[in-house]
Amino acid sequence: MSSRPLGAPPAALALVFALAAAAPLGAQTWRTLDVSRQLHDSGALQVKVQYGAGRLNLHAAASRVLYDMRLRYDAERTEPLHSFTANPRTLRLGVRKQNVKVPGDRNPAEMRLDLADAVPMELEIELGAVEADLDLTRLRLHRLDVQTGASEATIRFDSPNSEPMTAMRLEVGAASLKALRLANANTRDITVDAGVGGVELDLSGEWTQDINLDVEVSLGGVHVRVPSDVGVRVEIRKVLGSFEHDGLVKRDDAYYSENWDSARHKVRIRAETTLGKFEIDRR
Amino acid sequence: MRGLLRTALLAAAALAAPLPTRTDLLAQAAPAPAPPAPAARPAQAPGAPAARLSDEGREDLRRRVATVRRDPNAIPLPADDRITVGARSVPAGTRVEGPVATVGGTLDVYGQVGGDAVAIDGDVVIHPGALVEGNAFSVGGEARAEGGMVLGELRTLQGAVGALPEASEAAPRMSTSRALKLAAAWLAVLIVIGIGVLVAAGEYLDGVVDTLEHNFARAFAMGIAGQLAALPVLVLGVVALAITVLGILLIPFAVVAFALALAGLITLGFLGVAQVTGRWIRPVPRGAIISERGAALRALVFGICGYLALWIVAAAFTWHPLAGGLLRAIAFAITWVGTTAGLGAAILSRAGSRRDTATLPIATPPAQDLSWMTPTPVTGVVAARRPTPASLKEHR
Repeated sequence: MSSRPLGAPPAALALVFALAAAAPLGAQTWRTLDVSRQLHDSGALQVKVQYGAGRLNLHAAASRVLYDMRLRYDAERTEPLHSFTANPRTLRLGVRKQNVKVPGDRNPAEMRLDLADAVPMELEIELGAVEADLDLTRLRLHRLDVQTGASEATIRFDSPNSEPMTAMRLEVGAASLKALRLANANTRDITVDAGVGGVELDLSGEWTQDINLDVEVSLGGVHVRVPSDVGVRVEIRKVLGSFEHDGLVKRDDAYYSENWDSARHKVRIRAETTLGKFEIDRR
Repeated sequence: MRGLLRTALLAAAALAAPLPTRTDLLAQAAPAPAPPAPAARPAQAPGAPAARLSDEGREDLRRRVATVRRDPNAIPLPADDRITVGARSVPAGTRVEGPVATVGGTLDVYGQVGGDAVAIDGDVVIHPGALVEGNAFSVGGEARAEGGMVLGELRTLQGAVGALPEASEAAPRMSTSRALKLAAAWLAVLIVIGIGVLVAAGEYLDGVVDTLEHNFARAFAMGIAGQLAALPVLVLGVVALAITVLGILLIPFAVVAFALALAGLITLGFLGVAQVTGRWIRPVPRGAIISERGAALRALVFGICGYLALWIVAAAFTWHPLAGGLLRAIAFAITWVGTTAGLGAAILSRAGSRRDTATLPIATPPAQDLSWMTPTPVTGVVAARRPTPASLKEHR
């Protein structure tokens, strides 16, 4: 086997990569910030959480704190945000700016946020490219607004919300969103605006009132799961979209479940889909 | 059912014991029923003066504190002569006005602090009955409330501390690996576009290549003129459209169309110049059997690699501001010359649809060589113009 001298281009390429590998590591920019505030009173609070990229876990706090945020972040790309004003009672948490994550980043930023379960709050969550687990169980929410860009998010209500929620709005961009046990949210009005992503709405949980669900889908897909004992009425407008339903019957301008007249609780769905898919599943 | 009962019980318990107001809490904290044992255990020897950060020989600690002061997430720290060194405690039943700060030890608060409680490289522990009216702040340790009250925030910083790197404060500088990824991505994108153009619009690319090969200087001059004229032409076009109502409506479309046309010309021009460069870098070896299209593809890929190699080398030196900047400038200059000539060639050849016939070698189609032999000349070749060996020689 003859040994062949290394050609000029491979040698140059090797030199380039050697130089790149020998490049000094950047300044240590990974930092951890832990901020919390004790719970001193139970006045209502407006909370805004914004987070651009990384992983986010949101839960009800186990201890008596108003909030407890643990943030692991790259200081070169991220500027933490934590501000609380007593009058009006507003809280802003998360990150103020966050540059786009390079694909293949094996070291994503992380945020863990615990919020007081004793304080009624309006919660607004704005997410970019985030893998989010939003466990809203035990939180006293009287309004919820979630906006996601290219996130993979799960929202959960594992137990009933003790606060009547005036409205819930979910705005999904090019992302996937699962909202589980939404009947526990204790809200009458749910609005979903789905872009290119996929949305799964699970309306199980403890039904205490009827629900009005407004859904707008463009290009994406929305899958709604409704308990079989709940009456369903669907008004749908399609533009090159599809509607798949499980045994609903068309009467006049709407589709009804067979138990619509007798059901104790009802969900009225108004859906509009443009090139999207809207699906109802009753179990 | 059990869940419901439990929820109801919890709700009843919560209603029976409403959360105290801030005044209530302050009143509770004020008497500070002291746990006697810890309060009787001061951190420093009784009667000994507390070591201060401003004392002689504390340069390292002063530098450490100065670093913390510059951290954007730090709270304002007191002056060095008010920061102690080592473990410190605020005994029960006492009140310290203003901030209490220590470096290199834990700060135990049993009494009251009328400001912030700070420990650098140590914990801040707020014990039962203690009150901190400001923030509890720890760097390199942990700020925690173990039964005491903090009216402000409990804040802990870990990991790197200090000011952000200068580059990220001003214009964020790209990391070496990111710059390399970007250059590699451009290489891949250009090769894909190049192959697409070669397959779908190969003859137009050939037109640009011909123009470049036969009149590079003229193409370069036309490229400069094109760059200088692009904006005025756009403005003139917009003004011309604005004369009529229909034209006003068309302005956005015209602007987009102009931008697309310009981008297309630049891309076509760059691919043409890359093909010419590729032929020069790596000519097809003599005797190699390769189709015309294969040779064009080979030249195109080598040419694109040649230009992008400059950017990859520059990207590899991103970590070195001077060398990286110089290499980027060289790469930019060479790419600009090539792209300008390419743009000029694309304009001269009308996007490759018109060959530079003035400089092309004259080739007589073989059919014409024989056309004089037709008994009735259908192409109008008259006997007087029949090619003779002498005229053919002159022609060639």
